[in-house]
Amino acid sequence: MQNPYIPYPVVVDKIITEVDTKDIKTFRFKFVNPEDEKKYAYIPGQFGELSIFGKGECPIGIASSPTQKGYVEFTVQKAGVVTTALHEMEEGTIMGIRGPLGNSWPLDYLAGKNIVVVGGGFAFTTLRSLINYMLHEDNRKRFGNITVIYGARNPGLLLYKDELAEWGKRTDLNLNVTVDKGDATWKGKEGFVPAVCKEVAPSKENAVAVICGPPVMIRFTLPVFFELGFSKENIITSLEMRMKCGIGKCGRCNVGSKYVCKDGPVFSLAELDKLTPEY
Amino acid sequence: MTEDFMVWAPVKKEDNVFIAPLGNKNEPFFSYLNSKNAPKNVFFPHTETMMKYTRTEKGMAFSSEVKKADKSILFGVRPCDAHSFVLLDKLFDQEKYKDEYYIAKRQNTTVITLACVTPPYTSCFCTSVDGQPVSSDGADILLTDIGGDYLVEFITPKGEALAKYFGEAKADASAEARKNEIAAKAKEAIKSKIPAHEVKPILDVNFDNPFWDTIHRKCLACGTCTYLCPTCHCFDISDEVKGSDGVRIRSWDSCMFPLFTKETSGHNPRPSQKERWRQRTMHKFKYYVDMFNAISCVGCGRCVMYCPVNIDIRKIVEDISKLESGS
Repeated sequence: MQNPYIPYPVVVDKIITEVDTKDIKTFRFKFVNPEDEKKYAYIPGQFGELSIFGKGECPIGIASSPTQKGYVEFTVQKAGVVTTALHEMEEGTIMGIRGPLGNSWPLDYLAGKNIVVVGGGFAFTTLRSLINYMLHEDNRKRFGNITVIYGARNPGLLLYKDELAEWGKRTDLNLNVTVDKGDATWKGKEGFVPAVCKEVAPSKENAVAVICGPPVMIRFTLPVFFELGFSKENIITSLEMRMKCGIGKCGRCNVGSKYVCKDGPVFSLAELDKLTPEY
Repeated sequence: MTEDFMVWAPVKKEDNVFIAPLGNKNEPFFSYLNSKNAPKNVFFPHTETMMKYTRTEKGMAFSSEVKKADKSILFGVRPCDAHSFVLLDKLFDQEKYKDEYYIAKRQNTTVITLACVTPPYTSCFCTSVDGQPVSSDGADILLTDIGGDYLVEFITPKGEALAKYFGEAKADASAEARKNEIAAKAKEAIKSKIPAHEVKPILDVNFDNPFWDTIHRKCLACGTCTYLCPTCHCFDISDEVKGSDGVRIRSWDSCMFPLFTKETSGHNPRPSQKERWRQRTMHKFKYYVDMFNAISCVGCGRCVMYCPVNIDIRKIVEDISKLESGS
């Protein structure tokens, strides 16, 4: 059995600078040992520990979808020791990734339902994994209507711009991209995510909302969905905590009796209500 | 024994007794009530290497570092500490995510428990948390002083395998009777009692109780309680580099430390000592019960004895038991 503390060696295959401020990049990793890719079978919503020589590890959500074969992607903001070192890496470098860790978006529960994906800013990464998974030709018919509401502070801070353009052309996806404030070239929506949610007003019928974003966005978006009649069972989000081991042993990421790394990071609001508000 | 095994046993160093490897001037010392350190470090050392890596032209190459554990004997642990191994097994040896570092050492170690038959510390409260001063819980062999002789009980096959080291003498029925008598007396001698089993339903509904403001104020956040605790298992993982070679190590960490949960953004879900004390208390008497159906305290009393500002977990549990349970 694989020792869960030991990373798989990967090569940094491609680095994509996502935003104008250049502090968010997507890293595409290929496994040094091709057989490791099978062992790293993941589900959207899971995360991995990125592992760098002499710097340590940091937990990051998986941004690619398992339908994308041959590589795995993480979108990372430059913030601490490990992510800063990562941002300074060059393509071709060998490092490590651990995982996949945590539960995932509840795909079986989402199947057969209308899905509303709401993302704000940098938290869009595992939602992108979910969207690409659902839109894949093998999976699209398993899901009902898909509505996406995604916002960033300004156009330059939107992630996955090429993909957003592709999604915009599809007829089987209701895509709503918004920015807090546009610029000279911006032709899309302007406005905060909660306001756009209100405007789009997705129906609660047979629907699940998957919401990820900064706390302030979550705080103002939840009331909109409550007003639309979504139950707490049908609002799903993902938590972040400081983590080390990622497998429920090192003791720092628990919220009540649940370890976010092992029992989460994905929880429904109904589940969160049962936990202590310590996150 | 020391020729065939690595033997850990109580050793006197200055005024303290520690569980330490014998040899190298370390002589066993048996006139002790309990060791200052909890013997968890035999399976879960303060610091241990998890993997090694080397800087290469292209980045890094690494290798796992689960050392083959030496065949070891852990001699003379007290029943409370042996009980802690049963609790730690639940965490480190789960069906999913096995901790090979812990398991390798645990499997290769035979635990020989020395029952507590002399008057205990006043801070001993094992009988309140599923323990007994004479108990084979977590032991492979149990030794009980029945007055001049030791009654040797082989509890597990791992223990039986060491039978040859204990001589030919067979215990008779009277030895068993004497042991039971001594065990009953020893149990009687544990005077400190706490309502540990009563507080779970109270903790379930009192996360926000103002009571939590009353514990932490004098806490220095030194972490002594967690380092001496036989069941505390929190750890940090960090990297150390020398030239082109590096190791990833894990070392004990503590929920009492402010940085334990502090995130890169600056946000800290447990921002003050109040939340940290609530976490420690809840973890032992509620969360572990939720997760593994067991209280994560063995009543050894080390945290009570060595806290520099006399925070007493017994008093905390006592006080919690008086709160409303909401039911």
